[in-house]
Amino acid sequence: MLTYEFPWNPFDPANPGPCIKFSVTRFAEDIRDGRKIGLEFPEPPVPTALIDTGSPFTIISKVLAKTCNLSLTNPVFPIRTMNGDCNCEEFCGSISFPGSPLPRIAMARILARDFYKETAYSCIIGRNILKRWRICFDGQNRMVTINAPENFD
Amino acid sequence: METATPLEAELKLFEENRREWAQSHLGKFVVIQGGAILTEFFDEYEDAFRAGIRQFGEERNFLIKQVWKTEPVYFVA
Repeated sequence: MLTYEFPWNPFDPANPGPCIKFSVTRFAEDIRDGRKIGLEFPEPPVPTALIDTGSPFTIISKVLAKTCNLSLTNPVFPIRTMNGDCNCEEFCGSISFPGSPLPRIAMARILARDFYKETAYSCIIGRNILKRWRICFDGQNRMVTINAPENFD
Repeated sequence: METATPLEAELKLFEENRREWAQSHLGKFVVIQGGAILTEFFDEYEDAFRAGIRQFGEERNFLIKQVWKTEPVYFVA
């Protein structure tokens, strides 16, 4: 079991929830096969992602999905938020957590939408990823602990 | 000028078959590329994606849809 611990102050208005660094790429087998034939894959951006138990899916910005050249698997995926309904696009990609020991997820369903108002984060880690982890928030010490098995897939 | 939505033909094919598949494969994932439909349905999205890559390769997009009677709208809080 791998453990990652970090601070989070739930009363900081600039910090709406526990966040971690996050990166997405085309799914890992695709990159491995591409490198065998000499293709180069630049390092992906490392945005900040909100850990969101209220979201069934992991959601990134449409710009990031296109930058990382993820594989589109559904162009019309409707979701409902507090701000109303919107259509996401659905992609398949690989997810890593730079700066933490959390294991890479080789293949995951990732939605993409536009992020307009959020300033503290530009991605949401939803329950399709969180189902792999055990997360504990220690309110007295304002610390978040994530425990993740080394192999889940 | 009107531009085609990616996977538009695949979405149309899915809608044409939705009712029948909802009877036989409710909740499963189907994979469609062009006019080709994988005969196997999948319990997990990741398994459907692997099968799509095996069948259609890495360069072509293919549609993965979970079969429900009507299109669900997931709530994101």
